[in-house]
Amino acid sequence: MKKNIYIIICFLVCWTTACKKLDVPPINIIQDKDVFTSTGGIQAYMARIYSELPIEDFRYSPQRGLNFFWIISPFPAVTGEALSRDQNGAMQENVGESPWGDCYKLIRDANYFIENMPKYAGTYTPAQVNSWLGEARFIRALTYFALVKRYGGVPIVDKVLEYPTGNIDDLNMARASEEAVYDFVAADLDFAYANLSESNQAGRANKYAAAAFKSRAMLYAGSIAKYNTTTLSDGAGNRVCGIPSSKAVTYFKAAYDAALLVAPKYSLYKKVWAAGDKEAQFQNYVNMFFDESSPENIFVKQYHYPESVHGYDAYNVPRQLMGGNGYSSEVNPTLNYVELFDGLPKNADGTLRTTTSGEYDLYANTMDLFANAEPRLRATVILPGDQFKGQSIEIRRGIYTGSSAGGISPLLAPGSTSNYPTANIVQSSNANQTPYKLPDGTTMNPAGLSGVFTGDGTCAISGFSVRKYLVPDKPTSEVLENRSDQTFIEMRYAEVLLNRAEAAYELNALGQNDKDYLQDAFLDINQIRERAGATLLAGPGDLSSVNVVRKERRKELGFENKIWWDMRRWRTADIEQNSTIYRVLMPFYSANDKKYFFDARTDERNVRYTFDVRWYYEEIPNGEIQKSQKLIQNPGY
Amino acid sequence: MKKILYTIAVCAIAFGVSSCKKLDNYEEPQETLTGSVIDAGTGKTLQTENGGGGTRIKLLEISWSDNPTPFYIASMQDGTFNYTKLFAGKNKISAEGAFVPLVQTNSSGATVVDKSQTVDIKGTTTVNFSVDPLLRVEWVGEPVINADGTISASFKITRGTSDAAFQNDITDVHLFLNSNKFVGNNNYDNRYSPQIDFSGSSANAQLGQTITLTTKGGPLPTKRDYFLRIGARTNYGLKYYNYTDVKTISVP
Repeated sequence: MKKNIYIIICFLVCWTTACKKLDVPPINIIQDKDVFTSTGGIQAYMARIYSELPIEDFRYSPQRGLNFFWIISPFPAVTGEALSRDQNGAMQENVGESPWGDCYKLIRDANYFIENMPKYAGTYTPAQVNSWLGEARFIRALTYFALVKRYGGVPIVDKVLEYPTGNIDDLNMARASEEAVYDFVAADLDFAYANLSESNQAGRANKYAAAAFKSRAMLYAGSIAKYNTTTLSDGAGNRVCGIPSSKAVTYFKAAYDAALLVAPKYSLYKKVWAAGDKEAQFQNYVNMFFDESSPENIFVKQYHYPESVHGYDAYNVPRQLMGGNGYSSEVNPTLNYVELFDGLPKNADGTLRTTTSGEYDLYANTMDLFANAEPRLRATVILPGDQFKGQSIEIRRGIYTGSSAGGISPLLAPGSTSNYPTANIVQSSNANQTPYKLPDGTTMNPAGLSGVFTGDGTCAISGFSVRKYLVPDKPTSEVLENRSDQTFIEMRYAEVLLNRAEAAYELNALGQNDKDYLQDAFLDINQIRERAGATLLAGPGDLSSVNVVRKERRKELGFENKIWWDMRRWRTADIEQNSTIYRVLMPFYSANDKKYFFDARTDERNVRYTFDVRWYYEEIPNGEIQKSQKLIQNPGY
Repeated sequence: MKKILYTIAVCAIAFGVSSCKKLDNYEEPQETLTGSVIDAGTGKTLQTENGGGGTRIKLLEISWSDNPTPFYIASMQDGTFNYTKLFAGKNKISAEGAFVPLVQTNSSGATVVDKSQTVDIKGTTTVNFSVDPLLRVEWVGEPVINADGTISASFKITRGTSDAAFQNDITDVHLFLNSNKFVGNNNYDNRYSPQIDFSGSSANAQLGQTITLTTKGGPLPTKRDYFLRIGARTNYGLKYYNYTDVKTISVP
């Protein structure tokens, strides 16, 4: 009997333990409370959304989009800053759905943070909470800016949309006007500026970053108000493409005022700069891109080997320093770009002078032509024969073996797109060269170690190679894909100054005189020029046209993936690139003179650039159009 | 044994093939839409280019939706179009190209001009549009081969519309040269085709004047035919080109 009772008790005990509730949160999924209740959790949340920010950095190309490792159609080869063997003409972004879809995912992450963070506010000080909310608004603003600069007006989603529980019709959203999106970006950045902290971790935004980005976004909006000619309105009267020209002053003023907010905190990098010392100015400009403590860096994207990497060095080193993956020389600055700079011998029309009274000028070394070049040019572009990683970068198109009595006449007629004559020129089709015996008995390779090779494009096809952002002391054994980890500077103070100068110039041109805007633009430009070692403007009168300001921007921000967007917002891309062929500079060695001469000619590949006017507004992905009855396509697609 | 194997194989193939019967029971689209875009001033079809930069016909099928996704048909370069695989239905049809827009909206998005045509597409439906081109580009005489092996062509440009809102500045004029009859801004030999770029309103003085363009890049390769066309455009909207018709010239 007793035994039976024990059995029953045992049985009941077993039974009751099973009453434990199984409805527990899965312990292998991170909950809101795990994220929002610790600074570490919030840092992790932020780390991911920062990593997905749509900024065109070392991992961006218009061919493959954002956050892609393989960058062989480099952005500068689309704008005319450079030529690349893998880029044959103008293009718009060819990335399908990704910028649209990815941006809205990021916007959702930011909205989710904005809605849920305050629920856990009790854990932190109000200052911390406000700063984080400001940060989320900063991220949302940058993401909307990435959308509006591509597509014009887009649907504004300012809350977390519930699917499938919500009303489906509420999810079907129409595009807001382009103006409304820019205003939304401005409002978010104003909030961010008011709430973000003075300083933040490197790679995260502080309040000045918000102001700096506002100056950029508002400058874009002002330019579109002033220069855009495309119009598209939906049935409800929202102008999804274009901004009324009456708003230009408002936006340029907003850009100008935002730029002023940044000035007290940041300054141009001049750590080893010295007045009048071109070598120091050159070194200063090179160092600026690698000094993590630079007072110029406002917003950066950091990389670190091996967990977060890119391949900038591997793709862009000169041919003679090629790494193990076999890539090199993807970005070769055009002569058009080099000619923007000061300190070069020029013809009356502003082109580089390589001849005197119809005969080539002769130089003992290729660098002699550039003896007085602006230090910023040398720091941005590797000129033929200049030093890099302790080597002289040898760029030579071929050896001229003809007679030099009475000088050498140009090999081709001016403007000719023909091939070079084969008589009297020894050249090399690839890096396996057959040395040529010079008249004095010594031998010389027909082409330089870094090109130019006629058969393959793995060389400095324009006669130049890029220097900006290439790590000057990286051993060749580490020049590999996914092995570089230098920081990308998305926003630096020089851009803020240029934004300010451009906004000030435009305000003056629009008749605003509540301040001496032209004087301000003049001082800003001269700050940039002084640091660059360029010729200073004599006075505000030298700002004869907006092109002076724009040219400065091209020189300062070249190869930083900014210029394409500028050409679009100025609406000059279709004029600049209208069956345009860019120019190159080919150094030759004259065997009889034992000297070099330079031939300025058009791109030997005869590649033409034509920018289609439709590209000022990119095509909204067709998949998105089909999902929504309310999304209307941009004109011409 | 072998015989049995063959029999099985033949049967298997026969069964396999028989399963290919189509079950797609909706008739394939077979209505035809054809027509032209005609210059109202001259009565001739309006020349354009192939592809995305040329005239296109916009169809809004309103038989089942008030707000349909547009369907576009590209025009041929002589300004005619012909599309033979449309579903029957009621369509609102307009055209886009280098002419005064058929549908215009004001700054608040309201439609102020609507010259689109609502048509029931069934069988072969013909729709013609009469438009005012932004520019009228016309040949003056025949292109000539010069002694130095280049080709010169003369032409004149006039406004195609009297509406000042569409008389924007002319930005550029091209002589497009190609080795086949499909020639225009999307398809030309850039080694030989010259262009003139105008800044601001500087081209306005050239309106109605005879302009001559000569091919660049030295003498043209001989013993072949070249196809020539003049294209010009203004600063309006998407900057479509207006073209002359194509002229052929044989270089002996």
